[in-house]
Amino acid sequence: MSSQSSEIREGFLCPMCMKDLGTVSQLQSHFEESHSTEDKATLNQLRGLFDRAKRKFLGDKEEVYVQDAQKVTSDTISQSTSLYDVDYWQHQETGVTHSWTDMFRGVRDTRVDKYVVETNKLLIRLDKLISQDAPTDSGKRKAFEKSVVMWMPDSDAKSCRYCGRSFNLTRRRHHCRLCGGIMCDRCSHFLTHAYAKKLTNPSYNFDGDKDVGFLKRSGSNSSLNSLFSTEGDPHIRSCDECRKLLERRDLQMEQRNTKTAIVLLYEKMKYCIEECEKQLESYLPMVESLCVGESTYSLRDAQRKRGELVKKYELIDQISKRISLLGSDKEEGPSVKQALLQKSVRVYASNFMQENMMGLQNLPTEEQYDKLQKMRTAEIQKEIALERQATLQAQEVEKKKADKHVTTNKEESGSQKHVRNRSIGWKPAEQNVTRDSDDPMVQQMDIIRGYIAQAKEAQKWDEVHMLELNLKDLQMEYSSQQKSTWS
Amino acid sequence: MNVILAIKQYISKMIEDSGPGMKVLLMDKDTTSIVSMVYAQSEILQKEVFLFERIDSAGRETMKHLKCICFIRPTKENVDLLAQELRISKYGQYYIYFSNVISKQDVKSLAEADDQEVVREVQEFFGDYIAVNPHLFTLNIIGCYRGIDWPPSVLKRTSLGLSSVLLSLKKCPMIRYQNSSEMAQKLADSIQQSINKEAGLFDFRQPDVAPILLILDRSDDAVTPMLNQWTYQAMVHELLEINNNRVNLSQVPGISKDLQEVVLSAEHDEFYANNMYMNFGEICNNIKELMDEFQTKSKSRAKVESIADMKAFIENYPQFKKMSGTVSKHVTVVGELSRLVGKTSLLEVSETEQELVCKGDHSASLQKIKTLLHDNKVQQIDKLRLVMLYALRYETHSNNDLSGLIDTLRKQGVSDKYRACVNTILDFGGKRSRGSDLFGSTDPVAFTKRFLKGLKGVENVYTQHQPLLQSVLDQLIKGKLREAAYPYLGKNLLRDRPQDIIVFMIGGTTFEEAYCVHQMNKSTPGVRIVLGGTAVHNFKSFLEEIQLYAQTPRSNRSDGMRR
Ligand SMILES: [Zn+2]
Ligand SMILES: [Zn+2]
Ligand SMILES: [Zn+2]
Repeated sequence: MSSQSSEIREGFLCPMCMKDLGTVSQLQSHFEESHSTEDKATLNQLRGLFDRAKRKFLGDKEEVYVQDAQKVTSDTISQSTSLYDVDYWQHQETGVTHSWTDMFRGVRDTRVDKYVVETNKLLIRLDKLISQDAPTDSGKRKAFEKSVVMWMPDSDAKSCRYCGRSFNLTRRRHHCRLCGGIMCDRCSHFLTHAYAKKLTNPSYNFDGDKDVGFLKRSGSNSSLNSLFSTEGDPHIRSCDECRKLLERRDLQMEQRNTKTAIVLLYEKMKYCIEECEKQLESYLPMVESLCVGESTYSLRDAQRKRGELVKKYELIDQISKRISLLGSDKEEGPSVKQALLQKSVRVYASNFMQENMMGLQNLPTEEQYDKLQKMRTAEIQKEIALERQATLQAQEVEKKKADKHVTTNKEESGSQKHVRNRSIGWKPAEQNVTRDSDDPMVQQMDIIRGYIAQAKEAQKWDEVHMLELNLKDLQMEYSSQQKSTWS
Repeated sequence: MNVILAIKQYISKMIEDSGPGMKVLLMDKDTTSIVSMVYAQSEILQKEVFLFERIDSAGRETMKHLKCICFIRPTKENVDLLAQELRISKYGQYYIYFSNVISKQDVKSLAEADDQEVVREVQEFFGDYIAVNPHLFTLNIIGCYRGIDWPPSVLKRTSLGLSSVLLSLKKCPMIRYQNSSEMAQKLADSIQQSINKEAGLFDFRQPDVAPILLILDRSDDAVTPMLNQWTYQAMVHELLEINNNRVNLSQVPGISKDLQEVVLSAEHDEFYANNMYMNFGEICNNIKELMDEFQTKSKSRAKVESIADMKAFIENYPQFKKMSGTVSKHVTVVGELSRLVGKTSLLEVSETEQELVCKGDHSASLQKIKTLLHDNKVQQIDKLRLVMLYALRYETHSNNDLSGLIDTLRKQGVSDKYRACVNTILDFGGKRSRGSDLFGSTDPVAFTKRFLKGLKGVENVYTQHQPLLQSVLDQLIKGKLREAAYPYLGKNLLRDRPQDIIVFMIGGTTFEEAYCVHQMNKSTPGVRIVLGGTAVHNFKSFLEEIQLYAQTPRSNRSDGMRR
């Protein structure tokens, strides 16, 4: 994670020259163009190198080794993942953690509460100072200001409490209009009415220059001076402490109320990603089921869902692209870190899309799906037929046995070999059939009833249908048998 | 008992706790190493961590739209830097995690700096060590000896690191230590003290059989870090050096720019995970297979034109992207290893080392060493290696010709500084400093074992040596580890067969030992061993270690002990 290696390598790297090719096809053509002759040579060269090293290392055992090479490597690949992760170590609780958060909050909040109280006082005064009915006439104004907050008597301050310089004829005393404290002119700050309005009324639309907040008198700033000396002074004189409190409040409100472009876009993008994830969850089983010809879901529905997903992907792609380009229209462009951030967000989005590319695999066409369904039906029928045959055979055997050893107990009659090991989807679990009867036919019917229940639960309606037909057949067969025995 | 997983779980918990939104991870130099060993940047990026910053980097940009996850060690400098950061906060919210115990006073001073109310969490997550393999950790400290004692700051750091290992694995162990090492005892005491002091933290449900922490000192086995290695991870470290999973290949002739530094991480590189414990011959074969596989895959699909084709391709070869980079990386690394092996007669050197250490034929070994010392292909460092091994092995042999060998080293142009190491190693790990019987001459069982091993086959010529650690752990598991040599701290003794063992090597462990512990974990069901050290040494870093050891004036060292 060092800063040099912070660049994230993405895309398809050529194994020969490490050139970054955007897509597989580009890599293909690059490989054929640039390395088709050279790579063989390199490869052979490397082979030679390895062979020599191997011979040296393994001595005369090489023959055997080479023969087994195929086996050895395929073995090692499957086996040695477990070499690395020793299996039984897998589960592990997260280590000990210890939280200081409550204690931290306790200390901070008592401190911050004081500020909050102070700041609120200032805001109330500020509200009065800028109100419509506040007098503008300079004489009345001063009295009014003093009524808002008690001014510190001049005699209480021999020197400025910020710069420490003593007051005299040229360095005169000035009062902070918010707390009534005394400072010199150079240490004064001035707050504009517009800014004051913003502070006292959070919904006030402050569309002035963002930098306008407090103004600071700098040594020879005469323009401010003149502004200040005119009647109806638009600025409010404040001390440094009051300024800090107000600015702190302002910052907090800003953060609470404003969202930058990147945040808005990012939230939108994340929303899309979450939606996608949700949809994929229901879409993927559909694809899987349809691709083996089941009719649990409708192909139409899946196609519609796929369409929605593709749209969402496009949206994610667009938004993340916009994020990556934010600020690039400005002359100076986004700052280095901001640019890196935007690029990372883009990588994040494309990784998401790549990882979930699987979900967008092509659905079967109507035609293909038709074929798949037919194939599946045929398969299921074949299986059922086989099973039935097996049952009948078992029954035969049973009968013969019964005929031969009428007295011996029949024990191992109901061994169950009916669990079908087809790889597609649902598979009934072995049934615990209560042995009401030793007749394999009866058992088979019980088993099939069990399968039907399971298939219903798994919502495999094709299977349910097939099995029910099968059961009906069996029942008929059985009843006819019974009739014949009794008659 | 998986240290990689322990750290990973901490990091992902931090990230989860901060909720959704764009994040920056703010770290210090040490925690950057800790995190980078277990997470690839791309992996952490998918958890919405988009930027990585160092707390000590000046002039970071203000980005209020980011949540800041701050993972740092609780040092004074860091606390100060963080307090400054909070006063003029750069990010919207702060989630603060210290990698070890922090004082109440420090928390208070941070709380007083948080006037802007940006802090959401302050916690201790005990990931204060570097996880190298699931069962191997290091503190990346070189220089833990000041003579035969700890420099105080290093003892403190080591003790903190080791107790964080215990906390992250939730183990409150019984402690045993190597009696012949005062440093081992001091560390044991210090760990016990922190367990007592932080009883609240160590208060978790204990298994029926108490875990064991065994503290050892490198000086008992100075041989292992001096041997050439032939398993992949150990060999790469010996010949190319692995530094926090990174290998610098810039010295490799004709190296391309992209491969000047490569990352070998078993967490993210399947080939490496599968081959890190294989020996060199097997790897050479496997890498060839890997190449072939890639070649067939990339050629068999000549027509990848439409998007559908590309999707199909990715579906069929999800490893494809990773693989193309992996192929060139390992081809380069293995190619460089074999170049070095051939160029520097490493097979001959290694064979001689192994016979020197594992057999008792003095005159044959001496003869071979002499020949190799005059061989121009053999690197100076390997010549030094041989002489140092000889010095330890035949320290008390009646026909010992060490002075002759040192003289040859001088004639071969080996520097004074290097030649001095021969005496240092005797001082550091010679007979007088050892508590164990390193060369096993008096143990008939060990002798028979070695004899049988000798019969097994040629391929073992380069891997005959087994580190002392192996027999120590073996005895520990069998309940035969002598209490006089490895006493318990305190009165409690473990009556049962140990299950969870954490073994820590002062003065640094090695990848050979890690391999050996890995094998034991595999072959001993019910026993889990985690190995750690102040460092993971190769011969070069071990030389640094003993050179620092030797810097203390002699009078403060062994003489002082005799007094
Ligand atoms: Zn290329
Ligand atoms: Zn002043
Ligand atoms: Zn004031």
